[in-house]
Amino acid sequence: MAGRRALKAVLIDLSGTLHIEDSAVPGAQDALNRLRQASVAVKFVTNTTKESKRNLLERLHGLDFNVQEKEIFTSLNAARSLLEQKQHRPLLLVEDSALEDFTGIDTSEPNAVVVGLAPDHFSYQTLNKAFRMILDGAPLIAIHKARYYKRKDGLALGPGPFVTGLEYAADCKSTVVGKPEETFFTQALSDMGCSPDEAVMIGDDARDDVGGAQNAGMLGILVRTGKYRKGDEHKIRPPPHLTCDSFPDAVEHILKNLL
Amino acid sequence: MADPGWPGCAKGLKGVLLDLCGVLYDSGEGDGVAIPGSVEALKKLKTSDLKLRFCTNESQAARETFVAKLQRLAFDVSVSEVFSPAPAAVAALKDRRLRPHLLVCDGLLPEFDSVDKTNPNCVVIGDAAEKFSYQNLNEAFRVLLELEKPVLFALGQGKYYKEIDGLKLDVGVYMKALEYACDVKAEVFGKPSPVFFQSALSDMGLQPHEVLMIGDDLVNDVGGAQRCGIKGVQVRTGKYRPSDERHPTVMADGTVDNLAQAVDMILNHRH
Repeated sequence: MAGRRALKAVLIDLSGTLHIEDSAVPGAQDALNRLRQASVAVKFVTNTTKESKRNLLERLHGLDFNVQEKEIFTSLNAARSLLEQKQHRPLLLVEDSALEDFTGIDTSEPNAVVVGLAPDHFSYQTLNKAFRMILDGAPLIAIHKARYYKRKDGLALGPGPFVTGLEYAADCKSTVVGKPEETFFTQALSDMGCSPDEAVMIGDDARDDVGGAQNAGMLGILVRTGKYRKGDEHKIRPPPHLTCDSFPDAVEHILKNLL
Repeated sequence: MADPGWPGCAKGLKGVLLDLCGVLYDSGEGDGVAIPGSVEALKKLKTSDLKLRFCTNESQAARETFVAKLQRLAFDVSVSEVFSPAPAAVAALKDRRLRPHLLVCDGLLPEFDSVDKTNPNCVVIGDAAEKFSYQNLNEAFRVLLELEKPVLFALGQGKYYKEIDGLKLDVGVYMKALEYACDVKAEVFGKPSPVFFQSALSDMGLQPHEVLMIGDDLVNDVGGAQRCGIKGVQVRTGKYRPSDERHPTVMADGTVDNLAQAVDMILNHRH
């Protein structure tokens, strides 16, 4: 490893890293508290298309995690930042539960299309509407491009296939705002007053969490919980800064070696 | 011999391939509407010495149904002259002993009457229009995911087509969605597949250079034909968009206002 960095910030994935569905990863709450006693800023970053910050916060508090709303940054928030920056008025193809993260955004006479995961909105009619807008020049913004996700009744299509279909239909390229995009990580760090080389990301997704963060200039730590499958650490190049069993081990490593 | 190009090539032509939707008529509520001048233009072609076949990617209705619709719009078309993707896919299904899960419009189902559909081991996707719900697409996705070697047949790969009330997403969009979701490459039946054009050519007993394709879809009609050595002319009706004339990869041999103008130019050059 190159010389030690003056670590200023730790980005932490939620689902699969701090908790699996409704159970906390053993020891994760204490580990988070230990990390907070060190002189680093902490932020929680996640790709979600349907859960608002408030939903996420409620779940974390229910599991006794010490987290504040302003420390959460999601792909929905990244989409909102982009909309505000470009002053777009979006057609929002997101689930109703995600709409509160877009409160105050002008959606009249939309001139941009935002695709999240919205099974109820992915009807032929709505996609046609989105397609016609894109063909007329509206930008296509994807919350993320996951192929599928796990539901109680089995695997189900994610937003990626629909984004890909619209890209093909209108001969355009979408702007993806969630992980593993570099802008997602730099946006997450933007109000923490540090640069990527002063930050580390902890997550269970080799490509989206670790690969994305390292591509943005951060260190990445892969945990063997959540969606981790044996050998995932070999699927990205460069490999993770560290692969460890779970979040508490990642915190120990940071406290011992990176501060 | 120098290539005479369009419309000079009309002199040596022996056959014409016509697309249907967007060339003869615009689809929509009910039977849709004939494009002005197309009924007459088709009559003129039919009374000429040129052979004629229809190459359509129509995958919403069975051939009998859409041919009957064309006849109601006063077009002189019969089922035996029509090449459409579903029969081509059915032949391949039988040949390879594949049992399809069908994501198609109800109107197309009769084309698959003779095919075993139990315990599916492939997915066939057509222009399912309103049936392209999240739920239905998810079902097709799950069938593909469970297969050791997923097989996806697409009845065409069009991006969109024009109906009276505007442009509509075509089967290609949903084909791409499933390709991305399952990491598969679809096998495309219909235009622009060379096999599809070849089957129409051999039915006419003609060589590619003796035939001209007229369509409104630059990539699938014109580009597809050109890849087989058939000249392709685009009409400025149907899904035509002005940007087609500046397309980065496909350049039509000619662009005309509509079928009527194309037919007049062809017939004038033959006299």
